[in-house]
Amino acid sequence: MSDMAKSILFAVGMCIVLGLLLTTAATALQPLQQKNMEINRKKNVLLSVDLVSRDGKYTHEEITTLYDEKIDLFGATQTGAIVEENKIDREPVLPIYLYIEDDTIQAYIVPIDTQGVWGMISGYLAIEDDGSTVRGFTITRHSETPGLGGEIERQWFQENFEGKKIVNKHGTFVSVRVARGEVERQVPEEEKPHYVDGISGATLTGKYLSEGLKQVLSRYEPVSIRFRDNRIEKPGRSKKRAKGDL
Amino acid sequence: MVELVSLFLNSVFAGNILLAYFLGMCSFVAISKNLNTAIGLGFAVVFVLTVTTPVNWLIFHYLLAPGALAWAGIGDVNLSFLRLIVFISVIAAMVQALEMLIDRFSASLYAGLGIFLPLIAVNCAILGGSLFMVEREYTFIESVVFGFGAGVGWMLAIVAMAAARIKMRYADLPYGLDGFAITMIVTGLMAMGFMLFSGISL
Amino acid sequence: MKLTRTKTFKAFAEPAWTNNPINMQMLGICSALAVTIQLRTAFVMTLAMIFVITGSSLIISLLRKIIPGNIRIIVELGVIASLVILTDEFLRAYYFEISRLLSVFVGLIITNCIILGRTEGFAMSNPPHLAVMDGIGNGAGYGSVLLSVAFLRELFGSGEVFGYDVIPQSFYDAGYEDMGFMLLAPAAFIIIGLMAWLQKYLSGTGEKDR
Repeated sequence: MSDMAKSILFAVGMCIVLGLLLTTAATALQPLQQKNMEINRKKNVLLSVDLVSRDGKYTHEEITTLYDEKIDLFGATQTGAIVEENKIDREPVLPIYLYIEDDTIQAYIVPIDTQGVWGMISGYLAIEDDGSTVRGFTITRHSETPGLGGEIERQWFQENFEGKKIVNKHGTFVSVRVARGEVERQVPEEEKPHYVDGISGATLTGKYLSEGLKQVLSRYEPVSIRFRDNRIEKPGRSKKRAKGDL
Repeated sequence: MVELVSLFLNSVFAGNILLAYFLGMCSFVAISKNLNTAIGLGFAVVFVLTVTTPVNWLIFHYLLAPGALAWAGIGDVNLSFLRLIVFISVIAAMVQALEMLIDRFSASLYAGLGIFLPLIAVNCAILGGSLFMVEREYTFIESVVFGFGAGVGWMLAIVAMAAARIKMRYADLPYGLDGFAITMIVTGLMAMGFMLFSGISL
Repeated sequence: MKLTRTKTFKAFAEPAWTNNPINMQMLGICSALAVTIQLRTAFVMTLAMIFVITGSSLIISLLRKIIPGNIRIIVELGVIASLVILTDEFLRAYYFEISRLLSVFVGLIITNCIILGRTEGFAMSNPPHLAVMDGIGNGAGYGSVLLSVAFLRELFGSGEVFGYDVIPQSFYDAGYEDMGFMLLAPAAFIIIGLMAWLQKYLSGTGEKDR
């Protein structure tokens, strides 16, 4: 009986010690982890408009300063007007990032969240102020098979998107798609601007990503149309309010 | 529905938890020496994965995830750092409970599966299944399908391996290549075969 | 001078080479291979493994006289799991990029058979300094295999070592191509198989019954 009591006592003691230790560690590290995720998000937004380079090393402050200076989060209404994100309560708006330099909009950035083969693929797609040319693409998170679909995190694949067009020469929206294999060999001449090189062995990931991009971009199409017609109005800077919110 | 079938096929073939993610290797190498044992362990893994993945889903989404305790009025608690230790305990407990249940209700099933169940608590495929379920943000239904699919994939791999090893007994291999080394190489060839399924889409 | 003869050294060297955990004991290869596409991830994984195995060996060895026998396995698991969680949380806080690449595989160290095997088989019956050496030795043995696999896969798969290009451009110009197969799962199995063969052949151990 005393053996039993000793075991139970030991087990309880161990639970308390380990529990306290883990909780302390997790609570202490949580702010850092959240900050990391925030910086990673900001860095990827900046990457998509080519404000930072992929292999460059940046301090957290550099990223934050650059982000606060150049990038602003707004909402896009269904008619394509860009409004301050804080006014969400009136009508549903889609989140949209604007890259503003010298008081003019240089590009807009669309957050991508789409189903992949295994889980969600998240990233950012930046489009130039002409409303049709892709400026850059980054993937922040995915759970595709390493070596196959996992290659979407590679630099060459993401840089692949730069300069591609989401509208054809007649001005119709076609999105940008992942080819099966190399664009050079697989895609007819007139379609080339709308295709990026695919990953060998990852046909399925390419298919899901193409579909996802098309869906997301067609939701943002009203905004893109406004950009193409050059009738976009730059909304007031929402910086102060946004900061107060965070 | 199509997504679920596609998820199932993917977790059995192209994304086989053993051949593409290397999980459950320890028991794979040790048990594949004998075909009957391999089949028994295979069934046990299917069974346990199908049960523990959804159970861990419920526990994660109603107890551990950030904001999961909202139903208890403490929504800002984030216990997700405890998931490793909770999952492994749940798996151990579930295996124990299953063993007792099977023993109570079906003597013949117990004779077949019973001895394998304790082995499974330390199989990384089981814990891996639960961790992937969190990482990939599955819904409840998806977690059931994924658990079952991963189990079937694992079973397929170990049964095929056991069958191949019966034939390999008669192979005249150079010194040192026999045993573990050739098992690994054959597993690699098998993994190549399974990868061919990656082009299948519905 | 007789360093190689001491018991402490033996505790380190046996698991690190002569009884290498991956090739000879065949244990714990589970979580290892998926992170061997790049040397960087394999290296961090090795450090995590060494930390966990040494830490758990030390703690269990210190407590070996007061741990009640009937619950010792669960105590060992508890200690290991806690150390793994600490490692995971630490990586997430300070090495965010790497922790994203390692994803669930740090967590899977818990089910790594080597660690439980060493705490149960060695640390429970040996004094702390030996247990620590045994832990480091096992970790180093595990790491050496992991890093060699990662080295081969990264070198031939992407032409890089630790992320730096090492294959000169002139090779590519002459028609050399990276071997995409190396990045896929089967390559890891085959490399491990060949390495096990090599090691068994060199060390000359194993049954000679044929």
